[in-house]
Amino acid sequence: MTELSKMIEIRGHARGGQGMVTAFEMLAKIFSYRFGFEVQAFPFFGVERTGAPIQAYLRISSLPIRVRSYIYHPNMAIVFDEGLMENPALLNGLTPDGILIINTDKPPSDFKGKAHRIVTVPATHISVERKLGSKSLPIVNAAMIGAVLKVLGADIEEAEELIKQEVPAKPEANADAAKAAYHSTSELSDPLFSPHQVNGTAGQASKPSSPMPFWDKPMSANKTGSWRVVAPKYETRQAPCSTNCPAGTDVRRFVDLAAKGKFDEAYQVIYEHNPFPAICGRVCPHFCQHSCNRIYFDGNLNIGAIERFIGDFAKSEPPAEVPATKKEKIAVVGSGPAGLTAALRLRSMGYPVTVYEAMPKAGGMMRSGIPRFRLPENVLDDEIRRIEEQGVNIITGKRVTIAELDGKYSAIITAVGSHVGMGLNLGSHEQVTDGIEFLRELLIHQKSSKIKKGDTVAVIGGGNTAVDVARTALRYGAVPTIFYRRTKQEMPAIAHEVEEALREGVVIEFLTAPVHLEPATSGRLNMAVQMMELGEPDDSGRRRPVPVPGSEKMVPVDHIITAIGQRTDPFVFSNQTVKAHQGRIELDEPQTRTPVFCAGDMAWGGTVVEAIGSGNDVAKETDAFLRGIPWKKEDSTLPVTGYDEINTAWFMPAPGHATPVTIPGNLLNNFDEVAGGLSRETVMDEAQRCLHCGECFNCGNCFNFCPDAAIYIDEENRLRVNYDYCKGCGVCVRECPSSAIHYSE
Amino acid sequence: MTETRITDTSEIRHTDLPPHHTKLVMKGNSAAAVAAKLCRVSLVTAYPITPQTSIIEEITTMIDRGEFDATSVNMESEHSVFAALKGASLVGERVFTATSGQGLLYAHEVLHAIAHMRLPIVACNVGRPSFPWNIWADQTDSISQRDTGWVQFYCESSQEVLDTVIQSYKLAEKLLLPVMVVLDAFYLSHTSENVFLPHQNLVDEFLPPDQRSGNRVDTAQPRAFGGLVGPNTYDDYNKLYWDDVNKVEKVCNKTGSEFGKVFGREYGAVEAVNIHKNTKKVLVTMATITTTVREVLACYPDIGLLKIRLFKPFPKKSVLNALSTAGDDCNIITIDRNFLGDTEGALMQEMKRALFGKTCKVFGVYAGLGGRDVSADTIEKIINLDVDSPHTEEVTWIR
Repeated sequence: MTELSKMIEIRGHARGGQGMVTAFEMLAKIFSYRFGFEVQAFPFFGVERTGAPIQAYLRISSLPIRVRSYIYHPNMAIVFDEGLMENPALLNGLTPDGILIINTDKPPSDFKGKAHRIVTVPATHISVERKLGSKSLPIVNAAMIGAVLKVLGADIEEAEELIKQEVPAKPEANADAAKAAYHSTSELSDPLFSPHQVNGTAGQASKPSSPMPFWDKPMSANKTGSWRVVAPKYETRQAPCSTNCPAGTDVRRFVDLAAKGKFDEAYQVIYEHNPFPAICGRVCPHFCQHSCNRIYFDGNLNIGAIERFIGDFAKSEPPAEVPATKKEKIAVVGSGPAGLTAALRLRSMGYPVTVYEAMPKAGGMMRSGIPRFRLPENVLDDEIRRIEEQGVNIITGKRVTIAELDGKYSAIITAVGSHVGMGLNLGSHEQVTDGIEFLRELLIHQKSSKIKKGDTVAVIGGGNTAVDVARTALRYGAVPTIFYRRTKQEMPAIAHEVEEALREGVVIEFLTAPVHLEPATSGRLNMAVQMMELGEPDDSGRRRPVPVPGSEKMVPVDHIITAIGQRTDPFVFSNQTVKAHQGRIELDEPQTRTPVFCAGDMAWGGTVVEAIGSGNDVAKETDAFLRGIPWKKEDSTLPVTGYDEINTAWFMPAPGHATPVTIPGNLLNNFDEVAGGLSRETVMDEAQRCLHCGECFNCGNCFNFCPDAAIYIDEENRLRVNYDYCKGCGVCVRECPSSAIHYSE
Repeated sequence: MTETRITDTSEIRHTDLPPHHTKLVMKGNSAAAVAAKLCRVSLVTAYPITPQTSIIEEITTMIDRGEFDATSVNMESEHSVFAALKGASLVGERVFTATSGQGLLYAHEVLHAIAHMRLPIVACNVGRPSFPWNIWADQTDSISQRDTGWVQFYCESSQEVLDTVIQSYKLAEKLLLPVMVVLDAFYLSHTSENVFLPHQNLVDEFLPPDQRSGNRVDTAQPRAFGGLVGPNTYDDYNKLYWDDVNKVEKVCNKTGSEFGKVFGREYGAVEAVNIHKNTKKVLVTMATITTTVREVLACYPDIGLLKIRLFKPFPKKSVLNALSTAGDDCNIITIDRNFLGDTEGALMQEMKRALFGKTCKVFGVYAGLGGRDVSADTIEKIINLDVDSPHTEEVTWIR
């Protein structure tokens, strides 16, 4: 045939999913756009999918291409998958001077006798290194383009930009893979090569034996599973809501149960890790909902409201007391969330536990630091009573040291919290009060504050204590202003609490810090406030406030309440300074023979939920210690499901249900709860918005989409893959809404 | 060849880029999608079917990116796809769709209605057969719809798909007839090749907005459509239709030559290659098989090629004109990539009809059905068909 010598014909062999069809299209574009050739690229389409052997063709010509058929006599054969070399027909018709390019780590000499010129390129290696595709199914097309360009003597720089534009994802990594492959080819010329015999054209089959096609066995006997190179597998992975709960709560599970209206079961799921669902439903910062993947879709789930409903719902169910079966008695100092959680866990294991509380009522910071308009006292009393009903003995009004308890118990757990405010170093003035003390005096001792109606109150700080103090002051009729040295974005206080405070009328002066105080007339103070600006990030990752020179202004105030941090009262260690940390602690000067453990705010954290997590851990560690076995906290190594793994097309947008907040018209002496609960129906609605990140929820999308009907429902009512028929096409992996199906080898 | 570096571009015989064009590597399906955009179509309804799907995917992608100002509606079936187009076209919109195989067959009833409601709808069909179940290149689907009243074009290249869609709207809106533009599955639909993409201003110049007046929905002049027509007027409408069908071939050739003036690429109802007084055989082809015939023909100076681009209504005058220079002993071999359950393929039937009363013999071959590859070897077998032997059947199956 005339002028075929001016044309190069290339035949490619690959498995579906390796990107060969795209690679050939890109090569066509490179040779057309960069070098001006006529091109023709097309695949042979079969019914096979991911993993099945496929062919594609590419013609590059300096003259118009006047042939539209498969390529039977390629000048070049490109093998994307070394395993395909097992098929001897693969090289059919390769011209005597033909080139064979193979994706392999092996040297070309291993393929001697296959072609006149043999080129190998470690394209899989190059692609996996650059995270192109998955380990079980690497996408090697960019690397193979690099090798083809090298063999044809084309310039890789000319092609790089085009590769970046054309690939659907990871442009830099793909261009880099092409370049790496371009420089990683090995070549061997075999002058003694004798060409293969052509075995005829593709698709030759036996003649039909009947006028209508039939198969002499049912289609089900055609076990297409043998085509598979990668297998989809149901695999439950972690959800960010659950992994971000410091208490370890299985958030995804209780939300799912709530969605189905199974509130009792949901309560049990929470209780397994957190004995304060009604409290946490109100005061927890809800790390779970701030990491909720639905944020990127149409707003996170209101997990706090769901938890609150479950907590309130289950109050009628009396918990069962476990008999005390163990002889080792345990003392817990402090009845905050850490102490009570540890006590309950150990009591449930059968240990007799006594909790010592210095204040007249149990609850720790939950009682002395959180105002009633955020956490009504009956909610707190109920959840503590449930713990007592399970056998935990709480002795209130008794301030103890570990030395006093020594010898009477097999283990002592200290969880005394951080109830001492850090002072502001601005000299002593009677108008200056500590915030945490201010709240305690009010909440525990019902001591009416010195604050009077109309007083100007400056609150210093940006945490929850500062906000709670300001809102409390507001309820005394005062005019509170929070002075915070950074901006709203950096405020450690719970964001919605800040919003509520602002709505109630609290003023926040951002980027301000008091620098000195001087007495003013009629018992007031003049507070000199320095303006700040944000500089470089500090250790906490937040930008450090830097004073703006010459920006001081005077603010006259009646009271200053500081809320700039808290520390632990060292009384429990007989005022010895102890470096507290989670778990067993060794004192520099030992005060006891009894082992001492530590948990709660004094060890780490600063929120109720962190204290609960700390309590869970210290209970496990104490139990292990008493049983003489080693213990170490183990986190799951399963990957956490990200938003980009969710098939959002499956989900309908559904606006979330916000927690109803009622700000009373007259706040004076009104300590009623500000946030309300959602109704049963609304909670179920909200819970049904869950994306089920990383877990099968039996939606059946895989069942519907599987083109080979290879998904079935097993005897346990679970969706499962029938590997006899699964071709490994990956449609289920892509269609799974919740990313609960993954490739495995 | 191994010594030749591909970057040696000295051999390239450049076709100059026509003015107001951009060169792009495109698949036939992309060309169809882009053509709809260039024609400023305002509504695309569709139902996915292999191998048509990527046409609609590309259209919806362009709409999504804001590059194509149209509405796309994913319908529940092809019957609804065409029914919705019928309504929209009746309102005066320029509409488009694409389908394949079973999808087209499912729409059969509405195809009649569209044609006889005289709606200038253009639809692409990516040809595949129905049964035995198969998804590959075959023209049985569209050819089985030849009697619905739609004009049919069969395309050879991605360029021709793009150009034919543009010409089709012109023809459709002039004669108030629907047009089907047919692409071969995979050989065209999924083949990436060089295409000269005209700039929008050229298309706008060639194809002004639809200026239909008369029969259409207009709120200012309320009318009813689709009512019962009795025996004493029914055939009058057929006669009116027939009058316009008789104009199609001429309008097609005129539109093709006008297109050539604007775009630099001329088209006719048919294309004749190498037909002269010494021509012994003429292969009659449609669509992509034509390309490979061109290649093989270079070695056979006494073999001619007649490409049928406008298949329905069959361009009898153009065919006779193309063959007029051939001698009396010239034989005709038609290549049919369709099977209508008849002894002769559709192209053979039409050629026999056109050549009625002429002396030349017409042979027919069935080739390339269900996607069977028609290679240069296959064409050589057809060329070497021994038409002089008394043992050669009138119709042959070539593999």
